[in-house]
Amino acid sequence: MTRKKTLLMAALAAAALIVIYLFLVNHAPIKLRRLALTGVMLGCIYGLIALGYSLIYKASGLMSFVQGDIMTIGAFLGLTFFTFFRGLFGTGEEGESNVGTFILSVLLTTAFAFLFGILLEKGTIRKLLNKNVMAIYVVLATIAISYIIQNGAQIIWGGIPLPVPSVFTVLFVQVIGVRIQPEMVLCVILSAGCMIMLHFFMTRTRMGTSLRAAAMDAKAAEACGIDVSLSTGLTWGMAAGLAAIAGILVGPIYGVYTMLGANIGRKGFSAAVIGGYGNMYGAMLGGIILGLAETFVAGYASSTLKNLIAYILLIAFLFIKPTGIFNERAIQDV
Amino acid sequence: MLLEARNVTIRFGGLVAVNHADVSVQPGRITGLIGPNGAGKTTFFNCISGVYKIDEGEVVFAGRRIDGLRGFQINEAGISRTYQVINLFRKMNVLDNVMVGMHSRLRQSFWASLFHSPGQRSEERTALAKARDMLKFVGLERKAGYPAGNLSYGEQRLLEIVRGLASDPQLILLDEPAAGMNSGEKAQLDVLLKRILGTGVTILMIEHDMKLMMGVADYIYVLNYGSILAHGEPAEIQRNPDVITAYLGGD
Repeated sequence: MTRKKTLLMAALAAAALIVIYLFLVNHAPIKLRRLALTGVMLGCIYGLIALGYSLIYKASGLMSFVQGDIMTIGAFLGLTFFTFFRGLFGTGEEGESNVGTFILSVLLTTAFAFLFGILLEKGTIRKLLNKNVMAIYVVLATIAISYIIQNGAQIIWGGIPLPVPSVFTVLFVQVIGVRIQPEMVLCVILSAGCMIMLHFFMTRTRMGTSLRAAAMDAKAAEACGIDVSLSTGLTWGMAAGLAAIAGILVGPIYGVYTMLGANIGRKGFSAAVIGGYGNMYGAMLGGIILGLAETFVAGYASSTLKNLIAYILLIAFLFIKPTGIFNERAIQDV
Repeated sequence: MLLEARNVTIRFGGLVAVNHADVSVQPGRITGLIGPNGAGKTTFFNCISGVYKIDEGEVVFAGRRIDGLRGFQINEAGISRTYQVINLFRKMNVLDNVMVGMHSRLRQSFWASLFHSPGQRSEERTALAKARDMLKFVGLERKAGYPAGNLSYGEQRLLEIVRGLASDPQLILLDEPAAGMNSGEKAQLDVLLKRILGTGVTILMIEHDMKLMMGVADYIYVLNYGSILAHGEPAEIQRNPDVITAYLGGD
Protein backbone atom coordinates (compact mmCIF):
# COMPACT_ATOMS: atom_id res chain seq x y z
CA MET A 1 0.00 0.00 0.00
CA THR A 2 1.31 3.43 -0.81
CA ARG A 3 1.88 6.04 1.87
CA LYS A 4 -0.82 8.29 0.45
CA LYS A 5 -3.40 5.53 0.54
CA THR A 6 -2.46 4.60 4.10
CA LEU A 7 -2.78 8.20 5.24
CA LEU A 8 -6.12 8.53 3.49
CA MET A 9 -7.40 5.38 5.17
CA ALA A 10 -6.15 6.55 8.56
CA ALA A 11 -7.90 9.89 8.03
CA LEU A 12 -11.14 8.18 7.04
CA ALA A 13 -10.96 5.90 10.07
CA ALA A 14 -10.33 8.88 12.35
CA ALA A 15 -13.26 10.77 10.82
CA ALA A 16 -15.52 7.74 11.25
CA LEU A 17 -14.45 7.42 14.89
CA ILE A 18 -15.22 11.09 15.57
CA VAL A 19 -18.67 10.77 13.98
CA ILE A 20 -19.39 7.63 16.02
CA TYR A 21 -18.13 9.36 19.16
CA LEU A 22 -20.32 12.43 18.60
CA PHE A 23 -23.33 10.24 17.84
CA LEU A 24 -22.80 8.18 20.97
CA VAL A 25 -22.32 11.22 23.21
CA ASN A 26 -25.20 13.27 21.86
CA HIS A 27 -27.86 10.84 20.72
CA ALA A 28 -27.29 7.31 21.88
CA PRO A 29 -29.06 5.92 24.93
CA ILE A 30 -26.86 5.01 27.86
CA LYS A 31 -27.29 1.30 27.21
CA LEU A 32 -25.95 1.58 23.66
CA ARG A 33 -22.96 3.57 24.89
CA ARG A 34 -22.19 1.01 27.53
CA LEU A 35 -22.46 -1.84 25.04
CA ALA A 36 -20.25 -0.02 22.55
CA LEU A 37 -17.54 0.45 25.16
CA THR A 38 -17.66 -3.16 26.33
CA GLY A 39 -17.68 -4.32 22.71
CA VAL A 40 -14.58 -2.36 21.85
CA MET A 41 -12.79 -3.62 24.95
CA LEU A 42 -13.68 -7.24 24.23
CA GLY A 43 -12.87 -6.67 20.56
CA CYS A 44 -9.34 -5.57 21.44
CA ILE A 45 -8.82 -8.89 23.24
CA TYR A 46 -10.13 -10.87 20.27
CA GLY A 47 -7.96 -8.72 18.06
CA LEU A 48 -4.77 -9.51 20.00
CA ILE A 49 -5.51 -13.24 19.78
CA ALA A 50 -6.38 -13.06 16.08
CA LEU A 51 -3.23 -11.04 15.45
CA GLY A 52 -1.27 -14.00 16.76
CA TYR A 53 -3.18 -16.37 14.47
CA SER A 54 -2.34 -14.16 11.51
CA LEU A 55 1.36 -13.97 12.37
CA ILE A 56 1.58 -17.75 12.78
CA TYR A 57 -0.33 -18.40 9.58
CA LYS A 58 1.88 -16.06 7.58
CA ALA A 59 5.12 -17.43 9.02
CA SER A 60 4.33 -21.16 9.00
CA GLY A 61 1.14 -21.62 7.00
CA LEU A 62 -0.36 -23.27 10.07
CA MET A 63 -3.01 -22.62 12.69
CA SER A 64 -2.22 -23.01 16.35
CA PHE A 65 -4.83 -23.94 18.93
CA VAL A 66 -2.40 -23.17 21.72
CA GLN A 67 -2.86 -19.42 21.32
CA GLY A 68 -5.89 -19.30 23.65
CA ASP A 69 -4.14 -21.35 26.31
CA ILE A 70 -1.11 -19.10 26.21
CA MET A 71 -3.63 -16.39 27.03
CA THR A 72 -4.72 -18.42 30.07
CA ILE A 73 -1.13 -18.92 31.14
CA GLY A 74 -0.57 -15.20 30.65
CA ALA A 75 -3.53 -14.41 32.88
CA PHE A 76 -2.37 -16.74 35.66
CA LEU A 77 1.28 -15.75 35.37
CA GLY A 78 0.28 -12.09 35.31
CA LEU A 79 -1.82 -12.55 38.42
CA THR A 80 1.05 -14.36 40.16
CA PHE A 81 3.55 -11.61 39.30
CA PHE A 82 1.05 -8.90 40.19
CA THR A 83 0.33 -10.41 43.60
CA PHE A 84 4.03 -10.96 44.24
CA PHE A 85 5.07 -7.41 43.32
CA ARG A 86 2.16 -5.89 45.23
CA GLY A 87 3.41 -7.69 48.30
CA LEU A 88 6.95 -6.58 47.58
CA PHE A 89 6.42 -2.88 46.74
CA GLY A 90 2.95 -2.07 48.05
CA THR A 91 1.64 -1.43 51.53
CA GLY A 92 -1.22 -3.82 50.93
CA GLU A 93 -3.74 -1.15 51.93
CA GLU A 94 -7.14 -0.99 50.29
CA GLY A 95 -7.39 1.46 47.40
CA GLU A 96 -3.71 2.02 46.64
CA SER A 97 -2.56 2.50 43.05
CA ASN A 98 -0.84 -0.49 41.50
CA VAL A 99 -0.31 0.82 37.99
CA GLY A 100 3.48 0.51 38.16
CA THR A 101 3.46 -3.04 39.46
CA PHE A 102 0.80 -3.99 36.93
CA ILE A 103 2.85 -2.70 33.99
CA LEU A 104 5.90 -4.52 35.38
CA SER A 105 3.83 -7.71 35.56
CA VAL A 106 2.64 -7.20 31.97
CA LEU A 107 6.23 -6.84 30.74
CA LEU A 108 7.49 -9.89 32.62
CA THR A 109 4.55 -12.04 31.57
CA THR A 110 5.02 -11.02 27.95
CA ALA A 111 8.71 -11.90 28.10
CA PHE A 112 7.92 -15.34 29.52
CA ALA A 113 5.22 -15.97 26.92
CA PHE A 114 7.59 -14.84 24.17
CA LEU A 115 10.10 -17.48 25.25
CA PHE A 116 7.31 -20.03 25.53
CA GLY A 117 6.23 -19.27 21.96
CA ILE A 118 9.76 -19.72 20.64
CA LEU A 119 10.13 -22.99 22.56
CA LEU A 120 6.78 -24.19 21.24
CA GLU A 121 7.91 -23.59 17.66
CA LYS A 122 11.47 -24.85 18.06
CA GLY A 123 10.66 -27.73 20.39
CA THR A 124 7.56 -29.20 18.77
CA ILE A 125 6.33 -27.55 15.58
CA ARG A 126 9.74 -27.34 13.87
CA LYS A 127 10.69 -30.82 15.08
CA LEU A 128 7.51 -32.27 13.57
CA LEU A 129 7.91 -30.35 10.33
CA ASN A 130 11.51 -31.58 10.04
CA LYS A 131 10.16 -35.11 10.16
CA ASN A 132 8.09 -34.12 7.09
CA VAL A 133 4.88 -34.56 9.05
CA MET A 134 1.84 -33.22 7.18
CA ALA A 135 0.43 -29.86 8.28
CA ILE A 136 -2.80 -31.43 9.52
CA TYR A 137 -0.87 -33.48 12.09
CA VAL A 138 0.97 -30.41 13.29
CA VAL A 139 -2.38 -28.70 13.81
CA LEU A 140 -3.58 -31.78 15.72
CA ALA A 141 -0.45 -31.58 17.84
CA THR A 142 -1.34 -27.99 18.76
CA ILE A 143 -4.82 -29.17 19.81
CA ALA A 144 -3.21 -31.80 22.03
CA ILE A 145 -0.84 -29.26 23.56
CA SER A 146 -3.79 -26.96 24.11
CA TYR A 147 -5.63 -29.60 26.18
CA ILE A 148 -2.48 -30.50 28.08
CA ILE A 149 -2.08 -26.87 29.10
CA GLN A 150 -5.77 -26.52 30.02
CA ASN A 151 -5.71 -29.57 32.25
CA GLY A 152 -2.28 -28.71 33.61
CA ALA A 153 -3.55 -25.28 34.59
CA GLN A 154 -6.53 -26.94 36.24
CA ILE A 155 -4.16 -29.05 38.36
CA ILE A 156 -1.92 -26.12 39.31
CA TRP A 157 -4.45 -23.36 39.89
CA GLY A 158 -7.69 -25.27 40.49
CA GLY A 159 -11.07 -24.77 38.88
CA ILE A 160 -12.31 -21.73 40.75
CA PRO A 161 -12.00 -18.31 39.09
CA LEU A 162 -9.48 -16.16 40.91
CA PRO A 163 -10.15 -12.45 41.40
CA VAL A 164 -7.45 -9.98 40.39
CA PRO A 165 -6.82 -7.04 42.75
CA SER A 166 -7.75 -3.71 41.19
CA VAL A 167 -5.03 -1.80 39.47
CA PHE A 168 -6.28 1.73 40.08
CA THR A 169 -7.35 3.66 43.16
CA VAL A 170 -10.67 4.65 41.64
CA LEU A 171 -13.33 2.02 41.04
CA PHE A 172 -15.00 3.79 38.12
CA VAL A 173 -14.21 6.31 35.43
CA GLN A 174 -16.65 8.22 33.24
CA VAL A 175 -16.27 7.62 29.51
CA ILE A 176 -18.90 9.18 27.19
CA GLY A 177 -21.15 9.41 30.18
CA VAL A 178 -20.86 5.76 31.17
CA ARG A 179 -19.23 4.58 34.36
CA ILE A 180 -16.79 1.78 33.54
CA GLN A 181 -13.91 0.03 35.27
CA PRO A 182 -10.66 1.92 34.66
CA GLU A 183 -9.04 -1.44 33.82
CA MET A 184 -11.21 -1.52 30.69
CA VAL A 185 -9.68 1.74 29.54
CA LEU A 186 -6.20 0.39 30.28
CA CYS A 187 -7.03 -2.73 28.28
CA VAL A 188 -8.02 -0.72 25.21
CA ILE A 189 -5.04 1.64 25.48
CA LEU A 190 -2.46 -1.12 25.90
CA SER A 191 -4.01 -3.24 23.12
CA ALA A 192 -3.99 -0.30 20.76
CA GLY A 193 -0.40 0.40 21.80
CA CYS A 194 0.58 -3.18 20.97
CA MET A 195 -0.98 -2.97 17.54
CA ILE A 196 0.64 0.33 16.70
CA MET A 197 4.03 -0.93 17.90
CA LEU A 198 3.62 -4.12 15.90
CA HIS A 199 2.72 -2.11 12.81
CA PHE A 200 5.84 0.05 13.08
CA PHE A 201 8.00 -2.92 13.98
CA MET A 202 6.85 -4.90 10.97
CA THR A 203 6.99 -2.11 8.42
CA ARG A 204 9.72 0.26 9.60
CA THR A 205 12.43 -1.87 11.18
CA ARG A 206 14.86 -4.05 9.36
CA MET A 207 14.03 -6.99 11.61
CA GLY A 208 10.31 -6.60 10.93
CA THR A 209 10.99 -6.41 7.22
CA SER A 210 13.06 -9.58 7.35
CA LEU A 211 10.27 -11.34 9.30
CA ARG A 212 7.82 -10.31 6.58
CA ALA A 213 10.25 -11.41 3.89
CA ALA A 214 10.72 -14.80 5.54
CA ALA A 215 6.95 -15.21 5.79
CA MET A 216 6.36 -14.18 2.17
CA ASP A 217 8.96 -16.43 0.56
CA ALA A 218 11.15 -18.62 2.72
CA LYS A 219 13.45 -19.75 -0.10
CA ALA A 220 14.15 -16.25 -1.32
CA ALA A 221 14.61 -14.91 2.20
CA GLU A 222 17.14 -17.61 3.02
CA ALA A 223 19.06 -16.70 -0.15
CA CYS A 224 19.05 -13.08 1.03
CA GLY A 225 20.87 -14.03 4.22
CA ILE A 226 17.83 -14.23 6.50
CA ASP A 227 17.75 -17.01 9.07
CA VAL A 228 14.24 -18.18 8.27
CA SER A 229 14.13 -20.74 11.07
CA LEU A 230 14.97 -18.05 13.61
CA SER A 231 12.45 -15.66 12.05
CA THR A 232 9.69 -18.25 12.32
CA GLY A 233 10.56 -18.90 15.96
CA LEU A 234 10.49 -15.18 16.74
CA THR A 235 7.11 -14.82 15.04
CA TRP A 236 5.62 -17.59 17.18
CA GLY A 237 7.17 -15.84 20.16
CA MET A 238 5.47 -12.59 19.24
CA ALA A 239 2.13 -14.34 18.76
CA ALA A 240 2.49 -15.88 22.22
CA GLY A 241 3.46 -12.52 23.69
CA LEU A 242 0.31 -10.91 22.27
CA ALA A 243 -1.87 -13.71 23.66
CA ALA A 244 -0.33 -13.33 27.12
CA ILE A 245 -0.93 -9.58 27.05
CA ALA A 246 -4.57 -10.28 26.20
CA GLY A 247 -4.72 -12.64 29.18
CA ILE A 248 -3.22 -10.31 31.73
CA LEU A 249 -5.34 -7.37 30.52
CA VAL A 250 -8.58 -9.29 30.74
CA GLY A 251 -7.77 -10.69 34.19
CA PRO A 252 -8.86 -7.68 36.27
CA ILE A 253 -12.11 -7.46 34.27
CA TYR A 254 -13.32 -11.09 34.09
CA GLY A 255 -11.23 -12.79 36.74
CA VAL A 256 -8.78 -15.57 35.97
CA TYR A 257 -9.85 -19.18 35.31
CA THR A 258 -8.52 -22.13 33.34
CA MET A 259 -11.05 -21.97 30.48
CA LEU A 260 -10.62 -18.21 30.02
CA GLY A 261 -8.28 -18.47 27.05
CA ALA A 262 -9.86 -21.51 25.45
CA ASN A 263 -13.21 -19.73 25.03
CA ILE A 264 -11.76 -16.47 23.81
CA GLY A 265 -9.11 -18.23 21.73
CA ARG A 266 -11.68 -20.20 19.75
CA LYS A 267 -13.64 -17.06 18.99
CA GLY A 268 -10.41 -15.41 17.91
CA PHE A 269 -10.49 -17.63 14.81
CA SER A 270 -13.71 -15.92 13.84
CA ALA A 271 -12.10 -12.49 14.25
CA ALA A 272 -9.21 -13.58 12.00
CA VAL A 273 -11.59 -14.82 9.30
CA ILE A 274 -13.74 -11.68 9.43
CA GLY A 275 -10.70 -9.48 8.89
CA GLY A 276 -9.00 -11.79 6.39
CA TYR A 277 -7.02 -14.69 7.81
CA GLY A 278 -3.35 -13.75 7.80
CA ASN A 279 -3.85 -9.99 7.67
CA MET A 280 -2.54 -8.05 10.68
CA TYR A 281 -4.89 -5.12 10.30
CA GLY A 282 -7.80 -7.37 9.44
CA ALA A 283 -7.26 -9.28 12.67
CA MET A 284 -7.70 -6.15 14.75
CA LEU A 285 -10.70 -4.88 12.81
CA GLY A 286 -12.24 -8.35 12.81
CA GLY A 287 -11.72 -8.53 16.56
CA ILE A 288 -13.51 -5.26 17.19
CA ILE A 289 -16.39 -6.16 14.86
CA LEU A 290 -16.77 -9.47 16.67
CA GLY A 291 -16.59 -7.79 20.09
CA LEU A 292 -19.28 -5.29 19.15
CA ALA A 293 -21.47 -7.94 17.52
CA GLU A 294 -21.29 -10.10 20.64
CA THR A 295 -22.11 -7.38 23.13
CA PHE A 296 -24.93 -5.98 21.01
CA VAL A 297 -26.47 -9.40 20.57
CA ALA A 298 -26.17 -9.98 24.31
CA GLY A 299 -27.61 -6.56 25.08
CA TYR A 300 -30.47 -6.39 22.59
CA ALA A 301 -31.31 -10.00 21.78
CA SER A 302 -30.32 -12.56 24.35
CA SER A 303 -27.17 -13.40 26.23
CA THR A 304 -27.58 -17.09 25.36
CA LEU A 305 -27.10 -16.19 21.69
CA LYS A 306 -23.94 -14.27 22.53
CA ASN A 307 -21.62 -17.25 22.30
CA LEU A 308 -23.08 -18.36 18.97
CA ILE A 309 -22.59 -15.15 17.06
CA ALA A 310 -18.82 -15.62 16.61
CA TYR A 311 -19.30 -18.95 14.88
CA ILE A 312 -22.27 -17.79 12.83
CA LEU A 313 -20.18 -14.88 11.60
CA LEU A 314 -17.29 -17.25 10.83
CA ILE A 315 -19.43 -19.48 8.63
CA ALA A 316 -21.20 -16.49 7.06
CA PHE A 317 -17.89 -14.90 6.08
CA LEU A 318 -16.56 -18.17 4.67
CA PHE A 319 -19.55 -18.31 2.34
CA ILE A 320 -20.05 -14.67 1.49
CA LYS A 321 -16.59 -13.14 1.74
CA PRO A 322 -13.92 -15.76 2.44
CA THR A 323 -11.17 -13.23 1.82
CA GLY A 324 -12.36 -11.18 4.77
CA ILE A 325 -12.52 -7.41 4.94
CA PHE A 326 -8.87 -6.97 3.96
CA ASN A 327 -9.09 -9.35 0.98
CA GLU A 328 -6.54 -11.92 2.09
CA ARG A 329 -6.07 -14.77 -0.35
CA ALA A 330 -8.56 -17.45 0.69
CA ILE A 331 -9.28 -19.53 -2.37
CA GLN A 332 -6.73 -22.17 -3.32
CA ASP A 333 -5.21 -21.96 -6.76
CA VAL A 334 -6.45 -24.83 -8.88
CA MET B 1 39.72 -20.94 -7.80
CA LEU B 2 36.88 -19.01 -6.21
CA LEU B 3 34.57 -22.00 -5.95
CA GLU B 4 35.58 -25.64 -6.02
CA ALA B 5 32.91 -28.31 -5.92
CA ARG B 6 34.62 -31.67 -5.60
CA ASN B 7 32.93 -34.99 -5.99
CA VAL B 8 29.54 -33.49 -5.14
CA THR B 9 26.88 -36.17 -4.87
CA ILE B 10 23.27 -36.02 -3.77
CA ARG B 11 20.71 -38.79 -3.79
CA PHE B 12 16.95 -38.66 -3.42
CA GLY B 13 15.93 -42.15 -2.41
CA GLY B 14 17.40 -44.38 -5.11
CA LEU B 15 17.89 -41.57 -7.60
CA VAL B 16 21.35 -40.04 -7.87
CA ALA B 17 20.49 -36.49 -8.86
CA VAL B 18 24.07 -35.19 -8.89
CA ASN B 19 26.76 -37.82 -9.30
CA HIS B 20 30.37 -37.08 -8.27
CA ALA B 21 30.39 -33.72 -9.99
CA ASP B 22 33.55 -31.60 -10.04
CA VAL B 23 33.07 -27.96 -10.95
CA SER B 24 35.57 -25.15 -10.56
CA VAL B 25 34.77 -21.48 -10.95
CA GLN B 26 37.57 -19.04 -11.67
CA PRO B 27 37.21 -15.54 -10.26
CA GLY B 28 36.34 -12.74 -12.67
CA ARG B 29 34.84 -15.00 -15.30
CA ILE B 30 31.47 -16.28 -16.39
CA THR B 31 31.19 -20.02 -15.96
CA GLY B 32 28.25 -21.74 -17.59
CA LEU B 33 26.41 -24.89 -16.63
CA ILE B 34 24.34 -26.49 -19.39
CA GLY B 35 22.62 -29.80 -19.94
CA PRO B 36 19.32 -31.33 -21.05
CA ASN B 37 16.19 -30.91 -18.91
CA GLY B 38 16.40 -32.93 -15.72
CA ALA B 39 20.19 -33.21 -15.89
CA GLY B 40 20.50 -31.92 -12.32
CA LYS B 41 21.63 -28.35 -12.97
CA THR B 42 19.28 -26.66 -10.52
CA THR B 43 19.87 -29.46 -8.02
CA PHE B 44 23.58 -28.70 -8.29
CA PHE B 45 22.87 -25.01 -7.54
CA ASN B 46 20.78 -26.07 -4.56
CA CYS B 47 23.71 -28.15 -3.30
CA ILE B 48 26.01 -25.14 -3.40
CA SER B 49 23.57 -22.58 -2.00
CA GLY B 50 22.63 -24.68 1.02
CA VAL B 51 19.09 -25.64 0.02
CA TYR B 52 20.15 -29.32 0.05
CA LYS B 53 22.78 -31.03 2.14
CA ILE B 54 25.14 -33.04 -0.08
CA ASP B 55 25.66 -36.74 0.62
CA GLU B 56 29.25 -36.87 -0.58
CA GLY B 57 31.98 -34.50 -1.65
CA GLU B 58 32.86 -31.01 -0.57
CA VAL B 59 32.28 -27.43 -1.63
CA VAL B 60 35.09 -24.95 -1.00
CA PHE B 61 34.43 -21.26 -1.48
CA ALA B 62 37.27 -18.74 -1.24
CA GLY B 63 39.36 -21.29 0.65
CA ARG B 64 36.63 -22.22 3.10
CA ARG B 65 34.42 -25.32 3.32
CA ILE B 66 30.82 -24.24 2.91
CA ASP B 67 29.00 -27.54 2.43
CA GLY B 68 26.80 -28.21 5.43
CA LEU B 69 26.21 -24.51 6.07
CA ARG B 70 22.64 -23.26 5.94
CA GLY B 71 21.35 -21.09 3.12
CA PHE B 72 21.57 -17.77 4.94
CA GLN B 73 25.11 -18.56 6.12
CA ILE B 74 26.19 -19.24 2.55
CA ASN B 75 24.76 -15.88 1.56
CA GLU B 76 26.75 -14.29 4.38
CA ALA B 77 29.86 -16.11 3.13
CA GLY B 78 29.51 -14.28 -0.19
CA ILE B 79 27.38 -16.34 -2.56
CA SER B 80 23.97 -15.15 -3.68
CA ARG B 81 21.60 -16.65 -6.17
CA THR B 82 18.50 -16.28 -8.29
CA TYR B 83 15.87 -18.91 -8.92
CA GLN B 84 14.58 -20.53 -12.06
CA VAL B 85 11.04 -19.83 -10.88
CA ILE B 86 11.15 -16.20 -9.81
CA ASN B 87 11.12 -15.81 -6.04
CA LEU B 88 10.50 -12.16 -5.29
CA PHE B 89 8.76 -10.65 -2.29
CA ARG B 90 5.83 -9.88 -4.53
CA LYS B 91 3.84 -7.69 -2.16
CA MET B 92 6.83 -5.57 -1.17
CA ASN B 93 7.86 -2.75 -3.44
CA VAL B 94 10.87 -2.95 -5.72
CA LEU B 95 13.10 -0.86 -3.47
CA ASP B 96 12.25 -2.93 -0.38
CA ASN B 97 13.15 -6.10 -2.27
CA VAL B 98 16.63 -4.71 -2.82
CA MET B 99 16.81 -3.57 0.83
CA VAL B 100 16.01 -7.10 2.01
CA GLY B 101 18.80 -8.28 -0.29
CA MET B 102 21.18 -6.08 1.71
CA HIS B 103 20.06 -7.74 4.91
CA SER B 104 23.24 -9.63 5.66
CA ARG B 105 25.44 -6.58 5.04
CA LEU B 106 23.61 -4.27 7.38
CA ARG B 107 24.46 -4.90 10.95
CA GLN B 108 22.66 -2.87 13.48
CA SER B 109 20.87 -3.88 16.57
CA PHE B 110 17.19 -4.47 16.92
CA TRP B 111 16.79 -1.66 19.47
CA ALA B 112 18.66 0.85 17.33
CA SER B 113 16.33 0.09 14.45
CA LEU B 114 13.24 0.28 16.61
CA PHE B 115 14.12 3.69 18.03
CA HIS B 116 15.73 5.07 14.88
CA SER B 117 19.03 6.00 16.48
CA PRO B 118 21.21 8.53 14.62
CA GLY B 119 23.68 5.79 13.63
CA GLN B 120 20.88 3.75 12.23
CA ARG B 121 19.43 6.68 10.34
CA SER B 122 22.68 7.39 8.56
CA GLU B 123 23.10 3.70 7.75
CA GLU B 124 19.53 3.66 6.48
CA ARG B 125 20.24 6.66 4.24
CA THR B 126 23.39 5.07 2.84
CA ALA B 127 21.54 1.81 2.25
CA LEU B 128 18.66 3.58 0.51
CA ALA B 129 21.04 5.50 -1.74
CA LYS B 130 22.87 2.30 -2.56
CA ALA B 131 19.62 0.47 -3.30
CA ARG B 132 18.57 3.23 -5.71
CA ASP B 133 21.97 3.09 -7.41
CA MET B 134 21.62 -0.64 -7.83
CA LEU B 135 18.17 -0.23 -9.40
CA LYS B 136 19.71 2.31 -11.77
CA PHE B 137 22.28 -0.35 -12.66
CA VAL B 138 19.56 -2.40 -14.35
CA GLY B 139 17.30 0.49 -15.31
CA LEU B 140 14.55 -0.15 -12.75
CA GLU B 141 14.96 3.11 -10.78
CA ARG B 142 11.65 4.49 -12.03
CA LYS B 143 9.80 1.42 -10.74
CA ALA B 144 11.20 1.70 -7.19
CA GLY B 145 7.77 2.22 -5.62
CA TYR B 146 5.90 -0.48 -7.55
CA PRO B 147 4.94 -3.76 -5.90
CA ALA B 148 7.45 -6.30 -7.23
CA GLY B 149 4.62 -8.56 -8.40
CA ASN B 150 3.42 -5.88 -10.83
CA LEU B 151 6.64 -5.81 -12.86
CA SER B 152 6.88 -7.52 -16.24
CA TYR B 153 8.47 -10.94 -16.29
CA GLY B 154 11.76 -9.65 -17.66
CA GLU B 155 11.85 -6.85 -15.10
CA GLN B 156 11.24 -9.35 -12.31
CA ARG B 157 14.26 -11.32 -13.51
CA LEU B 158 16.35 -8.16 -13.41
CA LEU B 159 15.08 -7.29 -9.96
CA GLU B 160 15.97 -10.74 -8.68
CA ILE B 161 19.50 -10.29 -10.02
CA VAL B 162 19.80 -6.88 -8.34
CA ARG B 163 18.52 -8.30 -5.08
CA GLY B 164 21.19 -10.97 -5.35
CA LEU B 165 23.85 -8.34 -6.00
CA ALA B 166 22.66 -6.23 -3.06
CA SER B 167 24.49 -8.41 -0.55
CA ASP B 168 27.84 -7.59 -2.27
CA PRO B 169 28.55 -11.22 -3.15
CA GLN B 170 31.81 -12.48 -4.61
CA LEU B 171 29.87 -15.04 -6.62
CA ILE B 172 26.33 -14.98 -7.95
CA LEU B 173 24.53 -18.10 -9.16
CA LEU B 174 22.06 -17.27 -11.93
CA ASP B 175 19.49 -19.96 -12.71
CA GLU B 176 18.21 -19.31 -16.24
CA PRO B 177 18.29 -15.51 -16.12
CA ALA B 178 17.01 -15.22 -19.72
CA ALA B 179 13.97 -17.47 -19.25
CA GLY B 180 10.82 -15.54 -20.08
CA MET B 181 12.69 -12.51 -21.38
CA ASN B 182 11.80 -11.07 -24.79
CA SER B 183 14.50 -10.77 -27.44
CA GLY B 184 15.20 -7.13 -26.62
CA GLU B 185 15.68 -7.91 -22.94
CA LYS B 186 17.89 -10.87 -23.81
CA ALA B 187 20.15 -8.68 -25.91
CA GLN B 188 20.54 -6.32 -22.94
CA LEU B 189 21.18 -9.22 -20.55
CA ASP B 190 24.31 -10.02 -22.49
CA VAL B 191 25.66 -6.55 -21.73
CA LEU B 192 24.42 -6.63 -18.14
CA LEU B 193 26.28 -9.85 -17.37
CA LYS B 194 29.51 -8.24 -18.58
CA ARG B 195 28.81 -5.19 -16.44
CA ILE B 196 28.21 -7.37 -13.39
CA LEU B 197 31.55 -9.02 -14.04
CA GLY B 198 33.03 -5.53 -14.29
CA THR B 199 31.94 -4.77 -10.70
CA GLY B 200 34.08 -7.68 -9.50
CA VAL B 201 31.32 -10.27 -9.12
CA THR B 202 31.99 -13.71 -10.56
CA ILE B 203 29.11 -15.49 -12.29
CA LEU B 204 28.10 -19.14 -12.41
CA MET B 205 25.06 -19.51 -14.59
CA ILE B 206 22.57 -22.04 -15.89
CA GLU B 207 21.04 -21.08 -19.23
CA HIS B 208 19.12 -22.85 -21.95
CA ASP B 209 19.60 -20.11 -24.51
CA MET B 210 22.68 -21.46 -26.29
CA LYS B 211 23.29 -18.33 -28.32
CA LEU B 212 23.48 -16.28 -25.14
CA MET B 213 25.53 -18.87 -23.29
CA MET B 214 28.09 -19.41 -26.04
CA GLY B 215 28.39 -15.65 -26.44
CA VAL B 216 29.08 -14.70 -22.81
CA ALA B 217 30.54 -17.75 -21.03
CA ASP B 218 34.29 -18.09 -20.62
CA TYR B 219 34.09 -21.73 -19.61
CA ILE B 220 31.27 -24.27 -19.74
CA TYR B 221 30.39 -27.43 -17.86
CA VAL B 222 27.92 -29.91 -19.36
CA LEU B 223 25.81 -31.94 -16.97
CA ASN B 224 23.97 -35.07 -18.15
CA TYR B 225 22.09 -37.51 -15.90
CA GLY B 226 23.73 -35.86 -12.89
CA SER B 227 27.31 -36.36 -14.10
CA ILE B 228 29.71 -33.95 -15.71
CA LEU B 229 29.79 -35.01 -19.34
CA ALA B 230 32.28 -32.48 -20.62
CA HIS B 231 33.86 -29.15 -19.77
CA GLY B 232 35.83 -26.64 -21.74
CA GLU B 233 35.69 -23.36 -23.58
CA PRO B 234 32.50 -22.68 -25.58
CA ALA B 235 34.12 -23.51 -28.92
CA GLU B 236 35.33 -26.90 -27.65
CA ILE B 237 31.94 -27.69 -26.14
CA GLN B 238 30.15 -26.92 -29.40
CA ARG B 239 32.41 -29.39 -31.22
CA ASN B 240 32.26 -32.12 -28.57
CA PRO B 241 30.49 -35.20 -30.04
CA ASP B 242 29.30 -36.43 -26.61
CA VAL B 243 27.61 -33.11 -25.98
CA ILE B 244 25.99 -33.09 -29.40
CA THR B 245 24.69 -36.61 -28.81
CA ALA B 246 23.32 -35.74 -25.38
CA TYR B 247 21.48 -32.74 -26.77
CA LEU B 248 20.17 -34.28 -29.95
CA GLY B 249 19.40 -37.62 -28.31
CA GLY B 250 21.02 -39.72 -31.06
CA ASP B 251 23.16 -42.74 -30.44
